[in-house]
Amino acid sequence: MNQLIQSLVDAISAGAVLGLAALAIGLVFGVIRLANFATGEIITAAAYSLILTWDLGWYISIPISIIVAVLISLLMELAVFSRMRNHGPATLLIASFGLSFLLQRVYELIFGNNVRTAPIASGLAQSIDIGGIRVQMLSVTTIVLAAVLLIALQLFLTKTSLGLQLKAAAADFKTARLVGIPAGRVIGLSFALSGILAAAVAFVLTVQSGAVGPNFGVRITILALIGAVIGGIDKISGSLAGGFLVGFVTSMLASWLPQDLTNFKDAFVFVLVIGVLLFKPSGLLIKGRGVVRT
Amino acid sequence: MSTASAVDKSSLRWRLGPIWSLVSLLLIVTAATFITASFGKSLQVQVQYALVSLVIVVALQIFIGTSGVLSFGHVAFVAMGAWTVGLLTIDPMLKENLLPDLFPFLMHAQAPWVLAIFIGAVVGGLLALIVAPVLMRLNGLQAGIATFALLGVVNLVLTYWSSIGPRSGQSMVGIPEVLDYKLALVFALGAIIFAWLFQRTRPSRLLRAAREDGIAAAASGINIVTQRVIVFAVSGAVAGVAGGLFALTNRVVQSSQLYIDLTFLTLAMLVLGGTLSLSGAVIGTLVFSAIDVFLTNLQAGIDIGSLSLSIPQGTRPIILGLILVLMLIFRSTGLTGGREFVWPFRTVRPLPGNPPTNE
Amino acid sequence: MSTADTRQGLHVENLEVAYNGVPAVRGISFEVNAGEAIGLIGPNGAGKSSTLLAIMGATPRSGLVTVHGNDISGLAPEKVVRTGLALVPEGRHVFTELSVMDNLRLGAVARRDKSSYKEALEHVLDLFPILRDFGHRHAGLLSGGQQQQLAIGRALMSDPDILMLDEPSLGLSPTAVDTVFEALDVVRKAGKAVLIVEQRAEFTIAFSDRTYVLHDGVITLSLKPEDAENVEVLTEAYFG
Repeated sequence: MNQLIQSLVDAISAGAVLGLAALAIGLVFGVIRLANFATGEIITAAAYSLILTWDLGWYISIPISIIVAVLISLLMELAVFSRMRNHGPATLLIASFGLSFLLQRVYELIFGNNVRTAPIASGLAQSIDIGGIRVQMLSVTTIVLAAVLLIALQLFLTKTSLGLQLKAAAADFKTARLVGIPAGRVIGLSFALSGILAAAVAFVLTVQSGAVGPNFGVRITILALIGAVIGGIDKISGSLAGGFLVGFVTSMLASWLPQDLTNFKDAFVFVLVIGVLLFKPSGLLIKGRGVVRT
Repeated sequence: MSTASAVDKSSLRWRLGPIWSLVSLLLIVTAATFITASFGKSLQVQVQYALVSLVIVVALQIFIGTSGVLSFGHVAFVAMGAWTVGLLTIDPMLKENLLPDLFPFLMHAQAPWVLAIFIGAVVGGLLALIVAPVLMRLNGLQAGIATFALLGVVNLVLTYWSSIGPRSGQSMVGIPEVLDYKLALVFALGAIIFAWLFQRTRPSRLLRAAREDGIAAAASGINIVTQRVIVFAVSGAVAGVAGGLFALTNRVVQSSQLYIDLTFLTLAMLVLGGTLSLSGAVIGTLVFSAIDVFLTNLQAGIDIGSLSLSIPQGTRPIILGLILVLMLIFRSTGLTGGREFVWPFRTVRPLPGNPPTNE
Repeated sequence: MSTADTRQGLHVENLEVAYNGVPAVRGISFEVNAGEAIGLIGPNGAGKSSTLLAIMGATPRSGLVTVHGNDISGLAPEKVVRTGLALVPEGRHVFTELSVMDNLRLGAVARRDKSSYKEALEHVLDLFPILRDFGHRHAGLLSGGQQQQLAIGRALMSDPDILMLDEPSLGLSPTAVDTVFEALDVVRKAGKAVLIVEQRAEFTIAFSDRTYVLHDGVITLSLKPEDAENVEVLTEAYFG
């Protein structure tokens, strides 16, 4: 029982992180049909920022990591994706794949192949006792952090004019422009928000691992991208839910699979993904069997 | 009389045109191989790797170019081929020491390397055939994600399942040194000829027609999924051959070498040349590899007379990545723009019809 | 601009649109003046929707389009809206996951005069009272006719001088069509120009001050309201 609750808390926390990462991908996809594989390198950049500046104090390090993530995200849009507006999602995906590879090599060149380490918020690495149940402090923090971010995002998207414009553009970009919503403004906004979410993901992951290398963001981005697609990347809520599901399942598998199978936990998730795509190609949260708009 | 000869002439050209599109590719690849190889041993090795890449890219082109569907999964078949050839060519005595957990039948299995490559093709093709009925129903982004998921599964299984390979994450060593660049060239030319012939078969033609006009194809009763399954399996088999060649070239096989980076590099080559034509696959690989070889040597330092040129370690992949990204931005149809070569200095459109417009 | 163009309203000269080299609109010219309702009719594939999208800058085109004498060539749709042109797209395309009020708020993003937002909103809600009643409902829950009213209301929120509508009657019940066209009449009487693309010929001809017939990308006829009664002219318009 105790173990079940612990694993549930861990799984919810893992789901929360992946949900945020998938949301970072889904927000941008909604607007410009780009499933940005290089989101991982935004996460990596934020993680490097945290690790390298942690000595200065968290109140400096965390803002720096957010700023770096937002800047890199916007830079990607300006330098690459803004020049590819007429391409289909498949070409954009390949381009982001290339950009991801490119940035990883740049990180390698700058920071070396070995991991950089720093004890990020080591206080969170402990376990706490809640009514006789031991849970990871980090898991609880992650869940709270994700909840706060999601509420803030929801308020932004529904209560502010800028947020509404983004929401409308994510739902129907062409009509949004016909109504008079400036394309550049909402695209930039989606990349900026994507950067903020990536920084949050980077924070949680660096607390967990305390180390960052050039490939730091790759695994989570693969899982997040997969989550976004099976949840329904066409809808913001679909990406979030799909990401959560993948994170939750992966974590539960890690807790409950027999010892000699835990190495294969991602494989089970991949198989699950293929199964979901087969029955609901447009995503779990999208009605009908519709095909993703292109 | 004169009209008859004109007809003959044009029909001859009609027939020769496509054949030249093959012959010119074979000539280019052969010439590039021998010219580069003449510069010494280390370049011969690099040429051999380039030829292996060429076979992978041809396999990719057979599927992506024909169906218009994205695949991030072909390296899974390459990995299967590499694993097969590794297991069949490493000495059993060595296997007992290095790969102690192998299934008994794998422990004792052995085959001459040519046969091993053939079996690798069968294994790669079979895996493709098994997963195809599921994967081939998907399009666009979903197809990309699902094929990637396949790559993920295969990679994890090969990494951790010690009954069919080395213990977690380790490498398979002891693969004999039997392949040189000349033999690799034979396989590469064979792959090109095979792909060229396959373009002219019914499944390939039907699928191209469907790619260009899905509605018309559906209306004429073509079962797209079935055709895709066939083409996917065939390209999976070619990828299996490429995997075998990789194993015999690298002589060390590790699952981490057969994952995302290789997927990226081979896709980059295809995109650079142009996904829609076989020429695209060949030219893309040659140009990309040429740049790669040049940069590799530049990283080591090149002496030109009294001048010594070099670039910092680690800049090579950055430049390669930049090339792909710039190519996608400025010319997403690739160097060949989806056209086939016809000697001399003329290009024709791939069979049949127009390259599809993006979006 | 060497010669100052002082014309008011929308002027389209020699407009051409092609998709992948296939022409859809082949050099049409027309004008829409303040207080006028202009109809544009023709069979499917005649180039009607392409004309509207091209005017909005949403599809590549050649030819001259001016609004109040200003050349709007090369402007993105969101900029075109700010010159005083608004399009109610075919199929309405309201933002289904947003509330009715939020849809209207978004329509006002392109307003040139932000201070009159409140009055504009009141004006739209008076024009379409149903939108007031359902203000907080998700737009996706509205009926087709209500969505059409919302789409028109959203376009009016940008305070356009020229309102363009792509098949506003498509899929609506007869009473819903009446509601829509009554509202359009109010809009016209308020001094705005209205350009309506329609398939329903008779109805459009009767409503509009002038109706152009578009056939294979070319304007083949110009009709007056009284021609609505004339069956021969109508038949010619469609099958000639």
